[in-house]
Amino acid sequence: MYFSDLGSIALILATGFALYTMLAAVLGAVRHSQPLVRSAQRSVLVVAGCMLLASCALLASFLTHDFGVNYVAQHSSLAMPWYFTSAAFYGGQEGSLLYWALMLSLFSALFVITSRRAPAALVPYVMATLMGIEAFFILMLTTVSNPFVRSAIAPSDGLGLNPLLMDPGMLVHPPMLLMGYMSFSVPFAFAIAAMLTGKLNSEWLRAIRRWTLAAWTIQSVGLILGAWWAYHVLGWGGYWGWDPVENAALLPWLTATAFLHSTMVQERRGMLKVWNLVLVILSFALSIFGTFEVRSGVISSVHSFAYSDIGNYFLVFLIVVILFASVLFCYRLPRLRPEQEFDSVVSREGVFLLNNLLLVGMAFATLWGTLFPLISAVFSHQTMTVGPPFYNQVMGPLLAILVLAMGIGPLLAWRRTSLNALWRNMSVPVILAALCAALLPLLGITDIAANVGFAICTFTAAAIVYELWRGMRVRHKHGESYPLALYMLFNRYRQRYGGYLVHIGLVFMVVGIIGSHYFQVQQDTTLKPGQEMNVAGYRLTYFGNIDRIEPDKEIITSQLQIWRGSQLQGYIYPGRTFYRNYGNQPASQISITTFGATDLYVFLAAWNGAGEATIQVFVNPLVPLVWYGGLIMVVGGIFCWWPARRRVRGEQRVAAVAGAKVVTGRAVELAHSGGKESMA
Amino acid sequence: MKRSFLLVLAAVALLAALASSLILATPKPPTVDQRVQSIASQLKCPVCQGESVADSSAQLALQMRQRIRQDVQAGKSDQEIIQFFVDRYGASIAWSPPWQGFSLLAWLVPIVLLLAGCWLLYAVVREWRRSEPVVTERVGSFDAVGSGEREDDELARYRAQLEQELAEDDVIFKRAGTEVR
Repeated sequence: MYFSDLGSIALILATGFALYTMLAAVLGAVRHSQPLVRSAQRSVLVVAGCMLLASCALLASFLTHDFGVNYVAQHSSLAMPWYFTSAAFYGGQEGSLLYWALMLSLFSALFVITSRRAPAALVPYVMATLMGIEAFFILMLTTVSNPFVRSAIAPSDGLGLNPLLMDPGMLVHPPMLLMGYMSFSVPFAFAIAAMLTGKLNSEWLRAIRRWTLAAWTIQSVGLILGAWWAYHVLGWGGYWGWDPVENAALLPWLTATAFLHSTMVQERRGMLKVWNLVLVILSFALSIFGTFEVRSGVISSVHSFAYSDIGNYFLVFLIVVILFASVLFCYRLPRLRPEQEFDSVVSREGVFLLNNLLLVGMAFATLWGTLFPLISAVFSHQTMTVGPPFYNQVMGPLLAILVLAMGIGPLLAWRRTSLNALWRNMSVPVILAALCAALLPLLGITDIAANVGFAICTFTAAAIVYELWRGMRVRHKHGESYPLALYMLFNRYRQRYGGYLVHIGLVFMVVGIIGSHYFQVQQDTTLKPGQEMNVAGYRLTYFGNIDRIEPDKEIITSQLQIWRGSQLQGYIYPGRTFYRNYGNQPASQISITTFGATDLYVFLAAWNGAGEATIQVFVNPLVPLVWYGGLIMVVGGIFCWWPARRRVRGEQRVAAVAGAKVVTGRAVELAHSGGKESMA
Repeated sequence: MKRSFLLVLAAVALLAALASSLILATPKPPTVDQRVQSIASQLKCPVCQGESVADSSAQLALQMRQRIRQDVQAGKSDQEIIQFFVDRYGASIAWSPPWQGFSLLAWLVPIVLLLAGCWLLYAVVREWRRSEPVVTERVGSFDAVGSGEREDDELARYRAQLEQELAEDDVIFKRAGTEVR
């Protein structure tokens, strides 16, 4: 018996248990039968176990080089190092589907384990929805896209992995992105459960918020790693190309971001319930759409590593999901009345509305641009492409307004803010922004759009730092030193200050995007040994090409020196790697040297023998800020998500008691707050 | 509190003056390199996946860049050069849809929908406000203070706002003085 047989058995078992869970959970909920619900919970855990077993079986097939398994033979070879062999697990369609299903089952198990925290009435329906999605994926895996199919004769060696994927970024980017897609299922399951039971209360909101935050953070990591991978592997000097598949990954991220903001309005003010439901459903539908798009190849993309007719099944699944959710939604619509009224546009909820409009607008523009070639081909029989110039022109202004709103938001109070207070809070950031705008032309930045962009970023960064500073001052007046005050602010109000951290990260990122978009310098020159090229203050001297042959690959590199003024900065070796089975698809080895906040990006475009090379150089200012900003955003996301410690929960219990006492008299609370002040 | 308003106004005026001076100042004519780069980035490399002619290192893209350079030096306009490539390789080489015919929709639909969204937002907000009976006077009262003890005063006000917001997560933080509801 092979490992792959074990995998097939595990998949079949998982199908059975997933279907059983759906049945038992729904029956248990309808009949109020606790034993049935509990049995469904255990069955979710069994599904997770089966999926884990199946995944281990596939991994073992890879590591033991069992080339009798078609999938293993097509995606790995004997010469590959063990880490790429393991990463080949998700190098193709079957494996990435298995990975998707595995992650979904693990998240479902995690949900079951922590289900005591979720509203009890929702739990069975959440499980049933999750297992419904899981069942679809396992059915795909056992029928049309089975990774364990064996061929009669095993080849002696496999084909190896696509060279573009043979990169350290590949080890982490696809699994994070697939996990991000998958993780939108949990909020979706909560939404379905809430609509089925009609319990759309604040408890539901709290439960769904943390899951969405987790999904958002995972998706952010996936997107940033994807950009990083593109920058380091693809060799066109950029990190985001508005490729249809990149867009598909961005879409649920945008709607989830919108949700995370509008959910705060619902939490505090009881408004926007309907809208929040729409956003949750939309996020999940878009993540399924993304999977469909990658797999169907309907829209041409750089990510066309693998596609087949499996796209049709996903399309059907997507339609079923949207129909089911819409019908439920319309059925529940009458119940979703806002609890409170809107006071003023000049308030934090007003800015949140604007934020939602912008984010959903961006999502729509991206979706529209992605689908337009298809629409155009169908309706006007005209092939056309929608590329970066379109997205830059549409998204640029929206992003600028979004960043501006991000700066104004924290300056506004809930319900309403007097204009006087707003002016007062805005004066410092606005003055700093004006200073920035005035100084930049002196430094030689005369591009008006870039200048406006930088000024907006300054405004927002100043507004956030100012807000932090004011918070610190308040605590300082309570007798804390400034560093401690900062620590306490972050420690106690994670959501709020974690959110600011994310905003600061985004500002960094936008500064990097503006820098690389407006000030990139590109040049390509064909050089002979001893010749040099000058690009934006850097001088590159070419020495010659080096050819190195290894068992499974041949590597050609050019040797160059980087000079800045009269100082030698070092040697670089941009090159190409030819893998044995993919001779016509050389992978690029791009040399990226960072000087301060500027990347010198050198790419070997063409070569001739040992003594001639065409070198393409990009000088990318501020690109490192994109990565730092991304890192800060992810840290902020994790910070928001991180569970509050038990101590805080204990305090909440105390607080509940204190809250009860408020009714009895003010003296009690006064004494209590006095105690708090001495404690703080 | 007129002062802060005037400060903001002054800063905005400075920004506006700066922006207009930047716009009105005679812009430097773009160099040949910049023009080649900008034209090439409008064109999709026909033999690559998702790369522009400007970024691609393919042989064809190299030749196309040379061709663009020749045309720029010969004094052709950006439009003429792009049109030349569109005629030769078909409409799909232009990387952003042209502002004409069916592909106008690509531009108009997002813009129209965004404007519709703004209008919808406005309508919804107006609807919400109309049905709203009482406006609580809270922040307004804070503004009726002299500027003499402004520092402390501002602090107190901010503290009130911050603590009130924080109090919703953590009741312990609530202080009697800042209780509003």
